[in-house]
Amino acid sequence: MKKPTRNVAVVAGAATAAFALAVSPASAVASTVWTVNPSPANFTAVNSGNVVLSVNGIAMTCTKSNGSGTMQSATGNPATVASISAIAFGASGAPCTSVLGNVTTVATTPWTVVAQDYTAATGVTKGYVGNVDAKVTVGACVFRVTGKASGTYTNSTGALAVNSLAGELTVVSSTNCGSAVPVGAKPTFKGTYLVKVAGSTTIPTIVGSNP
Amino acid sequence: MRGPGPSPRPSRVRARGATIAAFVALAPLLPAAAVAVGTLKVDTALPYVCTLPSGPRTATVRITADFPERAAAGEEIRPTDVITTVELPAAAVADLTVLEAATVRAETRLTVGVAQNGQQAEAAWRGTSPTLDVPAEGPLTLTTTGDVPILTTGGPGDLSLTAGSLGVDLAPSTADGAATVPASLSVTCVPAEEAEGRRVLATLPVGPGPTTGEPSASPTPSTAPSSALPSSPPSSLPSPPPSRPTGREPASGTSGASRSPAAGRTADSGPQAADDAAPGTEAARPPAPTCRNDEPTSKSLTAYITGYSNVRKLNGANVIPVSCTLIEQGDPEIVFLPDGIHLFQKSDAELSYEGRRQTPPFEATFLTFGFAPTTATLVLEQVGPMSVESDILLVFPDNIAETYIRAPLVLRVLDVRVNGTRLDVGPSCRTAKPLSSPEPDPAKYPGDHLVLLGKGQLLNGTDASGYVLTSGGPLTGEVTIPAFENCGTGGEDLDRLLTASISGPGNYVKQIQGQTCAVGVEVPTEGQCTEDRQPYVVPKPAR
Repeated sequence: MKKPTRNVAVVAGAATAAFALAVSPASAVASTVWTVNPSPANFTAVNSGNVVLSVNGIAMTCTKSNGSGTMQSATGNPATVASISAIAFGASGAPCTSVLGNVTTVATTPWTVVAQDYTAATGVTKGYVGNVDAKVTVGACVFRVTGKASGTYTNSTGALAVNSLAGELTVVSSTNCGSAVPVGAKPTFKGTYLVKVAGSTTIPTIVGSNP
Repeated sequence: MRGPGPSPRPSRVRARGATIAAFVALAPLLPAAAVAVGTLKVDTALPYVCTLPSGPRTATVRITADFPERAAAGEEIRPTDVITTVELPAAAVADLTVLEAATVRAETRLTVGVAQNGQQAEAAWRGTSPTLDVPAEGPLTLTTTGDVPILTTGGPGDLSLTAGSLGVDLAPSTADGAATVPASLSVTCVPAEEAEGRRVLATLPVGPGPTTGEPSASPTPSTAPSSALPSSPPSSLPSPPPSRPTGREPASGTSGASRSPAAGRTADSGPQAADDAAPGTEAARPPAPTCRNDEPTSKSLTAYITGYSNVRKLNGANVIPVSCTLIEQGDPEIVFLPDGIHLFQKSDAELSYEGRRQTPPFEATFLTFGFAPTTATLVLEQVGPMSVESDILLVFPDNIAETYIRAPLVLRVLDVRVNGTRLDVGPSCRTAKPLSSPEPDPAKYPGDHLVLLGKGQLLNGTDASGYVLTSGGPLTGEVTIPAFENCGTGGEDLDRLLTASISGPGNYVKQIQGQTCAVGVEVPTEGQCTEDRQPYVVPKPAR
């Protein structure tokens, strides 16, 4: 009797996500000029809190993750305001973990940071991390994830909060992962990174406008 | 007849900073075919002087062994087919017959000096003989074979091996199979003066390592104990052996051993996660027996496992030494069950030690019947398929895992000494049945087998903890040790002694599995495999 409930819960999660996806574009006036300050600049990003990739309910936790790249002002909507040239998941002595074992993720970069929507009152930019491409290994199970992951950037804190919506990421190849991680599975990615101008404590800002 | 004279063996120079490592991983005999190509065959007969009860006597000692023709720095040098033959003169036979000995078994311990670039160390080559009849007259020829430490050098340069002193322990028995009085005879032999200049058994050219030409001037002292396997005590080895793990440590420059495992990181110059560069996050890899799958599939994993096993009857705990496990990882499958979504994964496994499905031999010492110190050399032999089955309940946002390992294992006794006196247990002394454990699902898993359970979990986005499939962790269980059979020779039945001493239920077992090495994947994960794709992580037993 519990089985339907569990399935419903999973479906409900997906439905909520889809709803969020549908609502977001309606909430803002589209910005077409994106002012990054400083620009151009190199940045670094270090996780704040754990980063979690989930596939079919299997959680993979990274306590350490960081990235780096460049950011620059841009125009248009959506607009690529940053390029992530390198991103690491896990660290020596602090690997990403799962109940299947330690998880290794190797990213094929660059990934992008794409801005879509800016709220001046809060200084929050909504958008996504695009061009995501990563190979994930757990023991003999190896799979590749591609797609994008929605997120926000908050100017006051420098927090890039990634919280991907169901369907944005897709498993495009899978070896020795059985039905746990089949091709076509839709992983989700959740994690917050604190962004700084490289070599400084300066928090960069992104401001969208529609002149 | 020449007296023993001063020992002509090389002075035992303490190996200060020497780059020679005498690994205590056992190297029992390999099939000759396996070493047929590029083999340096050593066959040397030398005059020795042995101190017998009746006085010093000359003896001929013949040493045969196979070595690789050459080796690279850091590469294992594994002597194989090592045979030591000692021909004791007729006077030695008289020393035995005076004890009314009809048969004799021998153990030999040849000290082999190992030198490279002016640095020296010693290794002990041990051998045992079968039981021989003591001849009525003429010389007594003892032929022993056995385990020999693997050698590794940290740098290039000719490596020479020199025959040194030889200890011979004789265990004579009377015609009715009883031990003589005294029960053993220890004979010390040293090379005779005539042997001077002929004692070098072999000189092996050692080339630079396969990676970079790291100078050998400042070897990293091993932080590991010099012995991993109690079956081959390192008493004659330099301690600590100034070693680096065999062929498993690329001579990388920065941050010490943290770069030792095979790199799986991509070549991009991307950042490593925070604190990645912290020094000393990984210690040097302790020595461990070879654990390689030379014909891997894409699902092949290897892992080490070690831990304690109590023998409740003897109030003792044995360390089951670091043992190699070869695993074929099953595909994880999602199954919907009434209590939730499960992930099932069934993998096949087997122990592997020098091509056999067993642990390395290990010694266990107890006080039998509360007072007699008893040392047994034991092996756990796998006698059927071993399964590793995980059941992971996916309860968002938590994952709860249970893994059962089921293995039919018999406990084989190779050697027993009570109060220092050897009891000849014979070649087939073992438990009559496999060890058994309480089985939660006996209908599905009939037959006697050991059951170990590992529990792991990942709670709400935090790290996984406990036992997880490919990363290892603690496995616990309880085992019943069955009665022993076929123990004893010459009419002496030791079954009851061993059964009364050791057999019984309720023996707690705790094993620690280390991180697996995914042997067959394209790029092994950093920190999980050595360069030659053995498990990098060597677990330590925990209580």
